[in-house]
Amino acid sequence: MTSADQVSRLLALVPYLQLHPDADLETTAGTFGVSTKQLLADLDVLWYCGLPGGLPGDLIEIDMDALNANGRIRLSNADYLSRPMRFTPDEALSLLVALRAVRELAGSRAGDGVESALAKLEAASGATALPRVAVAGGPESVREELAAAIEAAELVEFDYTDSGLEPSVPQVAPVRLLVRDGYGYLQAWSPERGGWRTYRLDRINAVRATGIAAGELGEPPEFGPGWLESSAQAMPVQLGLAPEAAWITEYIPVVDVRRSAELVEVDLLVADPAWLRALILRLGSGLRDIVPQEAAASARKAAADALAAYGAG
Amino acid sequence: MTQHKSERIMNLAICLLMSRRYVDKARIREVVEGYHDLSDAAFERTFERDKDELRGLGVPVETGSSDVFFPDEVGYRVRREDFELAAIEFTPAEAAALGLAATVWESATQADQTISALAKLRAAGVDPDPSRLTSLAPTIGAREPAFASIWAAYVEHAPISFSYKGENRRVEPWAMTSRRGAWYLLGRDRDKGEARMFKLSRVDAPGNRIGKPGSYQIPDSVDLDAAWARLEPASSDELASLAVRVGRANDLRRRARPVGGEVPAGYEALQVSYAREGDFVGEVCAHGADVIVLAPAELRRAVIAQLTAVAGGGAQ
Repeated sequence: MTSADQVSRLLALVPYLQLHPDADLETTAGTFGVSTKQLLADLDVLWYCGLPGGLPGDLIEIDMDALNANGRIRLSNADYLSRPMRFTPDEALSLLVALRAVRELAGSRAGDGVESALAKLEAASGATALPRVAVAGGPESVREELAAAIEAAELVEFDYTDSGLEPSVPQVAPVRLLVRDGYGYLQAWSPERGGWRTYRLDRINAVRATGIAAGELGEPPEFGPGWLESSAQAMPVQLGLAPEAAWITEYIPVVDVRRSAELVEVDLLVADPAWLRALILRLGSGLRDIVPQEAAASARKAAADALAAYGAG
Repeated sequence: MTQHKSERIMNLAICLLMSRRYVDKARIREVVEGYHDLSDAAFERTFERDKDELRGLGVPVETGSSDVFFPDEVGYRVRREDFELAAIEFTPAEAAALGLAATVWESATQADQTISALAKLRAAGVDPDPSRLTSLAPTIGAREPAFASIWAAYVEHAPISFSYKGENRRVEPWAMTSRRGAWYLLGRDRDKGEARMFKLSRVDAPGNRIGKPGSYQIPDSVDLDAAWARLEPASSDELASLAVRVGRANDLRRRARPVGGEVPAGYEALQVSYAREGDFVGEVCAHGADVIVLAPAELRRAVIAQLTAVAGGGAQ
């Protein structure tokens, strides 16, 4: 904790505590993203701050009895710090990026406040070249229909193409729209399979309301970083790519990449063999080598089948 | 030490904020707690550092003179209207969106900055309420090793140099965008003398400052929208005739329209637009026997060649 961080926080803490008389210690610590220990240290600093001259009546007053006895913060005699400082550029831009990420996911219906909040903050920030955020979240109509079904707690049905290009028509209870690594996902309960499922929003087509009530659902599992890596059935695969095919590493989840002049070696964890088959077919001769070799067997067969369909196999 | 330093800087800030006139150094030394006991040299050093630190926090410390007889006698002040957050109000729907913003950033530094911005709003009477939009969980990551240094340079408008695909580049950052999880920087490349786009994952190591914050201007004429638009896929103006197995390849169907034509049983004829042949060959091949190219002949030959490479065990 540097003193710069602390002063910056104190300049917001003083107006906050005057606006929220009798504030709770823990709630306030949470609001400012610090521990209660740190917040107590902050209050200790304020105890010695005040108008120039440093006479007893000039200092900021904090009711230490209320603080020690009940964890309530009562701060007074600081009328001259009744408003927070304006945003620093980093605060303004970090908040704007976060809100733009919210907007990418919220349809105009679910998030009618996002657009106007953004406009107000952009004006208040005074920044000129604002950061952008683009998420692969599929068509807005899909997100809106899913948001409506979440709100109504009803099952929906839609056309889905999974990462292995397999089509399906799941009927699920949607519960949450989320973003991971720039892609939007739907978390939903599948009554059919009796489990939680995750669907990529840009692979969902033609959402249809069913009018069937979703019933009582628990909390969906955490969809945190590393969700793919933790998949139990994931198989480690190593690809050797020609340099001109190495761009693919920026678009697929890789574990490790090792580059040399002639070959780019990529370690992957493959949860879905159909996904790997499609990847191998897509790479063509850009894929020089694969370990284990059997991992390419189904792609070889798929290519042979396709050639037969061309009458050229 | 931190506690004492924070006390002194807070008291300095309050002193400068409370004065309508510029306060000279001698007066500051007299009235601000923490400067009394310092030697002349130590006071000078400490005061200069404290003043810079306040400016670093964004406190607009002005330098000037209130003395008409001795205008060289400089003093300092903070204008309240430059210091305080301007009046800003939010509807409940807007406050809900703001509440959600607190949990978006996955990188700790920007998450802290966002929380600090939201705390300021709370201190100004806004109540960002995350409980209304619980069904939305947007996130934004910043895993590129160069992100922190480039973001800081962008925020402060500081020119920066970095190694990009092995080549040293000197850049004036203009704007940044996160697209499909990847960060990009747009800025003026000093050596090329024009605007360039940089993908942060291709920046080999954290960047180095090569100039002071605010030492360049972003030209008004820059069309950021047009620059970002170049990141989007090229327009699809080529047309292919495909035989697509019924019920398969939904991703292609989205940009397809049905056409007449003779196709094998279980297939239907679709016309699909595409931008670049190289990319489209891969896209078609990924579908295996579900998608067969009928025309143009060149595309058909390229697909057959790629399938032949895979079937022959290109990976041997």
